[in-house]
Amino acid sequence: MLEMKNIAKIYRTEAIATHALRDFDLSVADGEFVTVTGPSGSGKTTFLNIAGLLEDPTDGTYKLDGEEVGQLNDRAKSRIRNEKIGFIFQSFNLIPDLDVTDNIDVPLRYRGLPGAERSKRIRDALEIVGLASRQHHLPSQLSGGQQQRVAIARALAGRPRFLLADEPTGNLDSEMASQVIALLDDINAQGTTIIMVTHDMSLAGHGGREVRLLDGRLASPDDAETLAATGTGV
Amino acid sequence: MPDLEIRPILGTMRRNPVGAILIALQVAFTLGVVANSLFIINDRIGLINRPTGFDIDNIVTVQSTLLDDPADKLQQVRTDIEALEAIPGVIAATSVTQLPLSNSGSGTELFASADPNAPEVNGARFTMTETGLDAMGLTLAEGRWFREDEIKLPSTYGDPINVVIVTRVMADALFPDGNALGATVYDHLRRPVTLIGIVEHMQGSWISWQHLDNNIFTPQVPMQRFARYVIRTEPGSLDQVMSQVEPTLAATEPRRIVQRLRPYSEIRDRTYTEHRAMAIMLGVVSVLLIIVTAVGIVGLVSFVVRQRTRQIGTRRAIGAQRLHIVRYFLVENWLMTTGGAIVGMALAFGVNYWLANLFSLPRLDPWYLPAGLVILWLVGLLSVFAPARRAARISPAIATRGAAL
Amino acid sequence: MFSYYARLALISLRNSPALTVLTVGAIALGIGVSLTVLSVYNLMSADPIPQKSDVLYAVTLDSWDPERPYRERDATIPPYEMTFRDAVAVRDSDIPTHAAAMFKAGFSVQPGNPDIRPFRVISRMTDRGLFAMFNLDFIYGDAWGARADEGGEYVVVLNQTTNEKLFGGEDSVGERVRMGDNDFTVVGVVEDWNPTPKYYDVNNGAFDEGEEVFMPFALTEALELYSAGNTNCWKPEDIESYQNFIDSECVWIQYWAQLDDPAQRQNYQQFLDDYARNQQSVGRFQRPLNNRLFPVMEWLEVRQVVESDALIMLAISFMFLAVCVFNTVGLLLARFISRAPHIGIRRALGASRQAIFSQQMVEAALVGTAAGALGIGLAWLGLQGVRVLYREVDRLTYLTPSMIVAGFAIALVAALAAGLYPAWRVCRTSPSFYLRLQ
Ligand SMILES: Nc1ncnc2c1ncn2[C@@H]1O[C@H](COP(=O)(O)OP(=O)(O)O)[C@@H](O)[C@H]1O
Ligand SMILES: [Mg+2]
Repeated sequence: MLEMKNIAKIYRTEAIATHALRDFDLSVADGEFVTVTGPSGSGKTTFLNIAGLLEDPTDGTYKLDGEEVGQLNDRAKSRIRNEKIGFIFQSFNLIPDLDVTDNIDVPLRYRGLPGAERSKRIRDALEIVGLASRQHHLPSQLSGGQQQRVAIARALAGRPRFLLADEPTGNLDSEMASQVIALLDDINAQGTTIIMVTHDMSLAGHGGREVRLLDGRLASPDDAETLAATGTGV
Repeated sequence: MPDLEIRPILGTMRRNPVGAILIALQVAFTLGVVANSLFIINDRIGLINRPTGFDIDNIVTVQSTLLDDPADKLQQVRTDIEALEAIPGVIAATSVTQLPLSNSGSGTELFASADPNAPEVNGARFTMTETGLDAMGLTLAEGRWFREDEIKLPSTYGDPINVVIVTRVMADALFPDGNALGATVYDHLRRPVTLIGIVEHMQGSWISWQHLDNNIFTPQVPMQRFARYVIRTEPGSLDQVMSQVEPTLAATEPRRIVQRLRPYSEIRDRTYTEHRAMAIMLGVVSVLLIIVTAVGIVGLVSFVVRQRTRQIGTRRAIGAQRLHIVRYFLVENWLMTTGGAIVGMALAFGVNYWLANLFSLPRLDPWYLPAGLVILWLVGLLSVFAPARRAARISPAIATRGAAL
Repeated sequence: MFSYYARLALISLRNSPALTVLTVGAIALGIGVSLTVLSVYNLMSADPIPQKSDVLYAVTLDSWDPERPYRERDATIPPYEMTFRDAVAVRDSDIPTHAAAMFKAGFSVQPGNPDIRPFRVISRMTDRGLFAMFNLDFIYGDAWGARADEGGEYVVVLNQTTNEKLFGGEDSVGERVRMGDNDFTVVGVVEDWNPTPKYYDVNNGAFDEGEEVFMPFALTEALELYSAGNTNCWKPEDIESYQNFIDSECVWIQYWAQLDDPAQRQNYQQFLDDYARNQQSVGRFQRPLNNRLFPVMEWLEVRQVVESDALIMLAISFMFLAVCVFNTVGLLLARFISRAPHIGIRRALGASRQAIFSQQMVEAALVGTAAGALGIGLAWLGLQGVRVLYREVDRLTYLTPSMIVAGFAIALVAALAAGLYPAWRVCRTSPSFYLRLQ
């Protein structure tokens, strides 16, 4: 269960203050697959960062599983990220010096799991993403789709309740993209809540619920016309 | 036991070894230099701080050369000593032929028997008057000091004397079985002399001589027109006495040149100049070297942090606490430092071996190696701390924002 | 192309000032330390009389104890000095171009001018040959004549400082000075003579000041002089008079000769050996024949003028420089690699590998030059520090022009060596690797 109320995020630079999010309300129930869409710069990543506790909102309340998480210290937030949340990034963000196994191992080590448990989870996660044969490859020795699957395995190995994905298919060709989406569907079917940000309109509404962002706000139905008028795009 | 991630860190180092090798090399050389420097510094400080056996901090010395031959040298010296002892604050004064710790003077030898095959025992020779014991502030261990009537006029070389006093070390060298006091010893021409006293300890003339503590006292005054005086003062009155010495000597005999009026400690300082300079220079070089190494580590780690910004952000995003990030860099650096230090210990040993063979220096005390290791561990950890803290402050949002490299 | 690279390098250096300061500072510190030590070492081991150091010889005779060599560790070295009687005998030879026996002795000077207080001077008792042999420069007058070397002439050559003290720097030739119990006539004034090292007599410190006045060696017996330097004896002898002393086996006289060619040297060696054999017949020189002629530089080595501490410091300072170079490799690597993406673009735009390499090396050279300048400044500071630590080595603590050049050269070589690997690594990487990362 994820609940956001009146969330605002303001980025202040010397010249201007950007209202990346304002009056943002959203609640996501367990097991949902939510896609967040919107034009570039509309605040999708900002939303995801706040949802994943990577950034703090400027205003508003955010509850995860009923717990108010906005006021937690860094240590507690790190623990929540580590235990409840899995991340998938557009640019994969695998650690280049570590091989596949060691990359997946990273969050497990932060959790302090014993070695046997870690290797079991790594094996399982690799099984799920279908890369068991590549466990000793370095990221640079894998294709983009494979890298993203490793990133998903890394997210899954922690057995998160929430999987947050920021444009997971943005750097992939369409065939690889559909493999990744299919994988996410499977994971969702196992019960993991997924929030996926994308500007790819063909993925909008995939898996059920769609949330549209426009200029930092939730888009109301009337905004659809504005959207059409200004044109969506990358 | 927290997970230190040693295996993945080692894996990363193996794939990208240059930075680690550079830090290890710096650490190795630094340890080599620092361990040897500390050893040499300690050795030199030890030399400088050896006990002198006399009251070095309260003594003034001066040198006098008469312009004409004195009618009665013995009387002349006695008059000078009496005048000097009359200066307020003076405990006692004596004439000496040579000064301990001055690195110049003459030596002689004594024999325990008249047997031509008796082993010679070398020592520096100090001629003093009956006031010598008090004027130097020496401790008499056994027997007695010279009496006034034993003090002789000097002759050019080896004027026969009948009594001699030696330091304890010299007495033991002459008579390893004891019973030196009252024994008859033989001078360089095998003339018999009676050993009437043993002085607890006094350092001799040449600080690097193996027999520095072997010293012989004979009851004479210096030759010809020359005299050197040792004046011992009450604690605290050294400066005031020093200002009175020249006028006092001028008053007893104006036709003379008075030179080299100085506190005794200055003579010691001058003699140990090179040792002290060496210790200080090695200290400065070691500190600079440690700074350079620390700067090198800070520079390289900062670079690595910058290069790994995205990776660190990702780690943070997937649940690393700040502590984990700091610890990662500390452990990584500790591994490099330790690797370098192991090489460095071998290097330090090699350098010492080479120096020791070349210059007959003492062998490195092995304790300096772990001492060097601990120093470099500290340097490594302290240097890496600031960049590691900076790394820990990298925002996890970097992972989604696709920040610059 | 060079100026283009230099301009790029300057921009790059300006753009990351902290890293630039660290990089330049690291090498500069290494240069500063090693140049300081190298300067001292270099002056310690300098040739004190380069024009003729290979024709000047320290003359030594092995008149030492039949039971053991003079130097326990090296039996091939005869006593450093001669007995008085041997020096007098060797003076008779006219084989050398110039030759002089010598030792130092103290004198009390009583100036004629009552305003000047009596003072002590150190005199070099020697033969007239010394002045021409060691190239002393006369300001007034000249060396004493040959007859003074026979004895009986109370003449003196003053150095400039003493002439300043006694005669206000005027031409004092012909003036009289009371030294000890005799009046000496000034025959000449020389410029202060302080060869570094003091090769002709290193006994009491190879970097001591030279003597203040010069007097005929021939006066030694008449004045009953002893050496103010070293006197070493091996034989138990009953010395009760001055005559006993000068007849003794104690060594205390230095002896130097100028031998211009091998034949002359051979002749002289023959003369010395003949003399020693001759002495064997009267029961002296009981050791194996070992009379040696040491040219100046060899003599300085035998006398271990360069102190072991200086060598230790030299070794340590070069290890210091090595650390600075490793340090610089790291910093340059950081600098070059963080610029790799730009280099990727340059490569894509047609820069050859060699061009990229040259560009990096020009930057390294620039760093080296700056570090050289800074390092020389640090070495100057370092030498001031050394001067404070060693009170008596003013003549060893300055930067010679060749040391300044050496400083720049070492800095440049160190920086280029340090830049080699980073430059190679950057130019080797394929451009696409970095472009993809963008
Ligand atoms: N760190 C930041 N500082 C200032 N402005 C930012 C920062 N991050 C994002 N923004 C601004 O906030 C707005 C929302 O950005 P983002 O959430 O990344 O958009 P999206 O992911 O929808 O493309 C943009 O206008 C962007 O320029
Ligand atoms: Mg975005």
